[in-house]
Amino acid sequence: MLRKGATFWSVLVLASSLVIAGCAPKKESTTTTGAPTKIQITGAGSTFVNPIMSRWSSEYEKLAGVQVNYQSIGSGGGIQQFKEGTIDFGATDVTVSEEEEKSFTRSFVQFPVVAGTVAIVYNLPGFTENLKLTPAVLVDIFLGKIKKWNDPRLSLLNPGVNLPNMDIVVVHRSDGSGTTYILTDYLSTVSEEWKQKVGRGKSVSWPVGVGGKGNEGVTGQVKQLPGAVGYVELNYARQNNLTFAAIQNTAGTFVLPSQETGAEATRVAVERLKTDIRSSVVNMPGGNSYPITGFVYVLVDKQPKDAAKGAEVKKFFEWVLKEGQKMAGELDYVPLADEAVQMSLAKLAEVP
Amino acid sequence: MRLSPLHERWRRVLNAVSLGLSGVCAVVVMAPVFIILAYLVANGIRSVNLEFLSSLPKPPGEPGGGMANAIVGSFYMVGLALILSLPIGVGAGVYLAEFGNSRYAHLVRFIADVLNGVPSIVIGVSVWALLVVPMRSFSALAGGVALSFIMIPMITRTTEEMVRAVPNALREASLGLGATYARTMWSVVLPAARGGIVTGVMLALARAFGEAAPLLFTALGNRFWNVYLDRPMANLPTQIYEYAKSPYQDWHRQAWAAALVLITIVLVLNVVARLSTRERFRALR
Repeated sequence: MLRKGATFWSVLVLASSLVIAGCAPKKESTTTTGAPTKIQITGAGSTFVNPIMSRWSSEYEKLAGVQVNYQSIGSGGGIQQFKEGTIDFGATDVTVSEEEEKSFTRSFVQFPVVAGTVAIVYNLPGFTENLKLTPAVLVDIFLGKIKKWNDPRLSLLNPGVNLPNMDIVVVHRSDGSGTTYILTDYLSTVSEEWKQKVGRGKSVSWPVGVGGKGNEGVTGQVKQLPGAVGYVELNYARQNNLTFAAIQNTAGTFVLPSQETGAEATRVAVERLKTDIRSSVVNMPGGNSYPITGFVYVLVDKQPKDAAKGAEVKKFFEWVLKEGQKMAGELDYVPLADEAVQMSLAKLAEVP
Repeated sequence: MRLSPLHERWRRVLNAVSLGLSGVCAVVVMAPVFIILAYLVANGIRSVNLEFLSSLPKPPGEPGGGMANAIVGSFYMVGLALILSLPIGVGAGVYLAEFGNSRYAHLVRFIADVLNGVPSIVIGVSVWALLVVPMRSFSALAGGVALSFIMIPMITRTTEEMVRAVPNALREASLGLGATYARTMWSVVLPAARGGIVTGVMLALARAFGEAAPLLFTALGNRFWNVYLDRPMANLPTQIYEYAKSPYQDWHRQAWAAALVLITIVLVLNVVARLSTRERFRALR
């Protein structure tokens, strides 16, 4: 009895320690890229940037042997964790406001690494045309004033299109999101009424509609609900074959979200960012510029807790800004214009 | 008293209806398990292959890749949680069973039950504040500690019940032969309670394997391999969560596969727990 009991417990403890000690080294040997001595840097934040960030990370590992572990927890989460110092860099679709910055105990730089467009997606069964929308009509849809797809104002904009007599269901984000900020910033810019009633923010109190969590939630709802209209990053719309609208810009042209129309918008926007990094960058002038375009910003520590890691973060983003931009277009992002790259590199140079 | 034929018939009908209804309820209880299993197998089985089990995740939008690091990460952190919670849980359980009538013991028991009822997301956030912020890094250690917070009360309470169930005659016999109290505990009482304790541990392990919430804010996740306690680590539940809400077909496919792998692990643990209990009863007979 004595020996049996003792053996049993020792075996159990031994087995559980083997789980820890045993599995890891065994797995190490099966992969050539997993050497534990590699430097690993951790970043978190914006869900929008996740696809391109992961691509960068995977390419950079092959090139430099440094592992960049990026986790998409949302822009708000990225700012929060960066502030607490639990991650090596943060990523967000909205800049850290002056007010937020006051609560930071360390100094940091923020600069854009890539840009992207927000697509207005909808689900009209058997309908694959790109609808034309003016800012005023878009605002009234999100305000709940235009309730039917065959509303005269929509028909007038889209002659020859047989719009169905169907209720419009607005789908918006239920969580705090950089995408929501970009859209509401745009709606506030083009409409005084929206600015007064709803305003801009990472989460706002929507006059109408149902919520979905994350870009995927909104994508899923729009996909399943006939008559739904929502807003997601172009990347998500394309991947899921959602139809999206052409939006009238300041020049009066109806433009679709794309790499080109986003690029034209960011060329103008970067002039503003140079004077103030927190400038609103929606509704930029330009004949072919897509008005609901935004940047993804990265937050980097000026006095990193770990100097070696800090140097690697700096090197990684230098590579992202120089070489990484080429990959952005492939994933429906908008690569930064040269001027923006120079501006970001100058910001990054402030990091020792 | 003699019942009228009508009354008697009514009672028979009522009996049949009640029996039928409770039978239906019993089927409804089982149905979700089988629905979940069938659904996971139907959706996931084709995607559980060598690549899925042995390679690292690919960047979003690129097909292929796997979750090897998440599978290992889950075992790593649950193993860590087991090492932390087994001695504490069993020790506390023995204390409660043997000296369980003091005011302090009642307090311990009450607190263990409270801890058992704390929502796992709250445990995650607490460990974030307790470990992640001071260490200034998400880590496998924080993940393991968060999971051990879930396992400790479960192991404590099962151990207590099982040690209590050991007949007093066994203790008296051992003490009567001159064994010390510690020797009696270690060599007589605990071995006798072994089967039940193992069951409790297995169920706690199964629960820990399936928890995503405590790991979101502690282990964070990792695209790469990690063996270090002080670095972020991938794990199955949070990976399923991330993949399921992504817009990529291929990731949805992998999320199904991961869910199937996870439920297989949990099922195996449950079956092992059940088998060890059966063995215990056989031994007692």
